[in-house]
Amino acid sequence: MTNQDLVALIKKHPISFGCGALSLAFAVALYLRVDEIPGAEAELGLKSADGDRIALNIQYSTQLREHTDAMAAAIKDVESHLVRPTQLGTNTQYFYKLEGETGVKIIDLRQTAATAAPAKGAKNAYVAVPFSVSVQGSLPQILDFLRQLENGAHYCRVLTASFSGAASNRNAPLTLGLSLELLGKS
Amino acid sequence: MLSLLKKKGETAEVAALPAWHPNFRNYEKLPDIKVVRTAFFVNGAAIFLATTLGIYFGFKEWQLHVVNGQIAHVAGLIGRDKRVSDQAIAVFKKFQADETRVNEVDAFIRSKTLISVLVLRLAETLPANVAIDAFELRETGLTLRLAVRGDAAAASGYATAYLEQLKLDKQLEQFDEFNFTSTPMRNPATGRMAVEFFLRLKPAVAAAAKPVRKPLL
Repeated sequence: MTNQDLVALIKKHPISFGCGALSLAFAVALYLRVDEIPGAEAELGLKSADGDRIALNIQYSTQLREHTDAMAAAIKDVESHLVRPTQLGTNTQYFYKLEGETGVKIIDLRQTAATAAPAKGAKNAYVAVPFSVSVQGSLPQILDFLRQLENGAHYCRVLTASFSGAASNRNAPLTLGLSLELLGKS
Repeated sequence: MLSLLKKKGETAEVAALPAWHPNFRNYEKLPDIKVVRTAFFVNGAAIFLATTLGIYFGFKEWQLHVVNGQIAHVAGLIGRDKRVSDQAIAVFKKFQADETRVNEVDAFIRSKTLISVLVLRLAETLPANVAIDAFELRETGLTLRLAVRGDAAAASGYATAYLEQLKLDKQLEQFDEFNFTSTPMRNPATGRMAVEFFLRLKPAVAAAAKPVRKPLL
């Protein structure tokens, strides 16, 4: 079949050939764009997830600034109640101040070395500063001393306590031995 | 009728014979004289195929257009909110760091019993015939050395009653076991019954710190 024959055939069946050409063009276009929709849908999925995350962040951040400020103020307050392990003089002064305020008599006071190291990998902002203290006094004085220690200017936890009096003389002063920790900042 | 009378063999012989004149018809040039022309079906099929493919292609393009529109909408929202979100994340990280510190302080304070409260409670609930000679709080528990007034039988009863009272005390719920550590013995120096209790502390359960705020991602 020559080109002339082909042209004649096309001229004889213009609709069939026109539609065929159009169908071919559509088929090629569909083939070429077959990946466009899945790709666009995947992109939409990613963007939607990103958008949802951002929307949730904004929703959850309601009053975040106020809460952060409140937390920062709390931290500032906390830090004013911390001791520094290196400031031995200031630390012992705290106990002697309590002695003066409560009337007990300190018979032994030592700042000891930390026994338990913080867990490996644990990021502790604060350290426990251990003390060993023994006092003598009446029951009200000792209770006052304990209360002031536990609710005083520094954060305190008592690890062990030994509290005794003379069995033969009930009026004799009581002795309290404490092993305690004050929260500090290195 | 004559044809019916002819034998089959004769008919076949006639068909096999060449036509009596040559066939000069050119079928390709002759017009299509069917009722519905073949071209109609060919054109119809071609139009149907082209239309179907066109509609399908158009539908896919419309779908793509819709998805692209949604992408553009979401991208616009992201562009609008990202800065605020990033700022919130930065603030939240600071909040988290501060929260960790506060939780650390809270854990430090709550990790041990308040001795002043415990001593006061024991003093408040101490029965008339019982005196505390020594109070020793260790990591594992509390040892109480008591002197109980009265004859041996009565003093043992007072001691047992006191132990039961301690067990039932709701304010001493940090202890889970209440036991005599040894047989009560009379102290010859004081004439009182020496009794020793051991109150075992419950194992420390680290309370999981609940996050104050929902996390930002």
